[in-house]
Amino acid sequence: MAGTRVGNRIIGAEAPVIIGWDNIGKVEGGPIKRVFFSYFQPVMLFALIGFFYYAPNDIAVASTAFMIGIGFRIVMLAFEWVSPRYKSWELTWKEFATDLFYVSLGYTILRMVESYIGSDVIIEAFLGAFNWDTFAWFTGLPLLVQAFLIVFIFDFVQYWMHRGMHEWYPLWLTHSVHHYITQFNINKGAVGNPIELILIGIGIGGFFDFVPRAFLLAGALRLGVGIYMHTNVRFNTPRWWRYIFNTTEHHSIHHSQDYQASRSNYSGIFIFIDRMFGTCVDGEAEILGMEGGRRMSIREQMLYPFTEGWKSTRNWWQRSRARAPAE
Amino acid sequence: MRFFDWIWHIRGRLPLQPGQTSEEAFDRLVPMFEEQGTSYQRSDGTLIFSKKDQAAQDQMSIFDGGVLAIEPGEPTPSLTYNLKSRALLACFIAPLIFIAFAQFSIGLSALYAGSESGDRTAERGAEDTAEEEEEEAEIRLHPIDRWLGAPEPKQPGEDEEDDATEARAASDVRGERADETDGDATDEDEEEDGPRHSPGPAYVFAAIFAAVYLGGRVLEDWLIKRRFRRRLFDEEPAPGSS
Repeated sequence: MAGTRVGNRIIGAEAPVIIGWDNIGKVEGGPIKRVFFSYFQPVMLFALIGFFYYAPNDIAVASTAFMIGIGFRIVMLAFEWVSPRYKSWELTWKEFATDLFYVSLGYTILRMVESYIGSDVIIEAFLGAFNWDTFAWFTGLPLLVQAFLIVFIFDFVQYWMHRGMHEWYPLWLTHSVHHYITQFNINKGAVGNPIELILIGIGIGGFFDFVPRAFLLAGALRLGVGIYMHTNVRFNTPRWWRYIFNTTEHHSIHHSQDYQASRSNYSGIFIFIDRMFGTCVDGEAEILGMEGGRRMSIREQMLYPFTEGWKSTRNWWQRSRARAPAE
Repeated sequence: MRFFDWIWHIRGRLPLQPGQTSEEAFDRLVPMFEEQGTSYQRSDGTLIFSKKDQAAQDQMSIFDGGVLAIEPGEPTPSLTYNLKSRALLACFIAPLIFIAFAQFSIGLSALYAGSESGDRTAERGAEDTAEEEEEEAEIRLHPIDRWLGAPEPKQPGEDEEDDATEARAASDVRGERADETDGDATDEDEEEDGPRHSPGPAYVFAAIFAAVYLGGRVLEDWLIKRRFRRRLFDEEPAPGSS
């Protein structure tokens, strides 16, 4: 494969990757279906923001956001049947059950662990130790600005954490597990080693104060954009959307079996962060995964950072000893 | 063993077409086993296969091994199969794991409440005073928001539900978990005196996995029979179709 030059890199030399937007698939079907899947994403985003902006205080609460999130996921599951992006990403019972296991870890064990060692807990302890206060002046800003800042601050940190995971081997050991997925489905974002899931959730939002409604608006923004990242749904995403936001297309390139392609599109929500730092690649990939698409079992996913870490450390130690001059 | 190995075994029987020999039948079935991570042996009316790290795109990925045999019968021979699936077994066990986790979280919460209740009572007076001072700051709506018609925010202490804390508690993983807020622990008093870790989500997932197991056990039984039938009787609709 020849690959395509993007900046100073050759993308797609190891696995097929579509570069640019011209050859990306379109929604197939009748006019109603095409219109629906062309406007669904922006309409839903603005509807979510509008709802949490104007809803009375009694309705604009965390539990409402929670229920909307669950409902949205169910809708996306249905969309995966109605407008799939790729046949090879079709959800099977086994994949659904496996993904559900990781989702359930996130809601139970990981949540418990994060309540002790999560970044917000650590920041709170840090602030308490120095008797510092959070930056409260953000609460005076317009709600939508606050919501943007909440998402942007988190996404900016996540960009560098994610990029670090691809650049630094010890962190890559934890994150690599997530790259063994060979399909995109609604719950694939939850798949990963628990250590990585804690690391990728690290944020510095705990240093800042925002009003409750701004957090809900930020949640709406994250939901309305981030939910599509790992889904097998074909949309005719608007041009302006894919310039600002991360899309399934961008993220599929990040999960491509092509090494250079996988080192791109690190941000979670705002793809313009990747554009700022020169890591954005527009396009799409169908062939995902690692090691030629080998599937990793749950057991291996749990142990991989440790077993691979041990092997690498042992090899490094043996090489160091072999290089050491004899006394 | 046979009494309960139906949990992870799927067995079935499919009569062959009149005149169809075992060789012809296996010739039609063999492409199903030529997948990444699959090895098989075929001999004298029997096919034994095993799978390792099978791809998600493998139509038989749920199975880790099994035996297919052609047994003589009247009026036609039959294909019998006995397939085993660790995924089904794991899904069957999953509810027990989450029930155990729920019990663990209850135990941990009780331990937490027991060890901290004394300290908290002593500290609460001082904390309340400090919190009251802190919470006196009024939350004002920005003029732009007022002009756009956003509802006036609740003032501190007006409501027990602390949405900021709840929303902040939501972990953001890969842009997808911003909607995850713990709807159970919204009551401030409960958070301080009651269970710190709610067993609710674990019970919910135990029930979900039980339902997923039942659905999968029935669905996969039906799907594999349909796939074998399509292969044997030329009913394969289109390449790559399930």
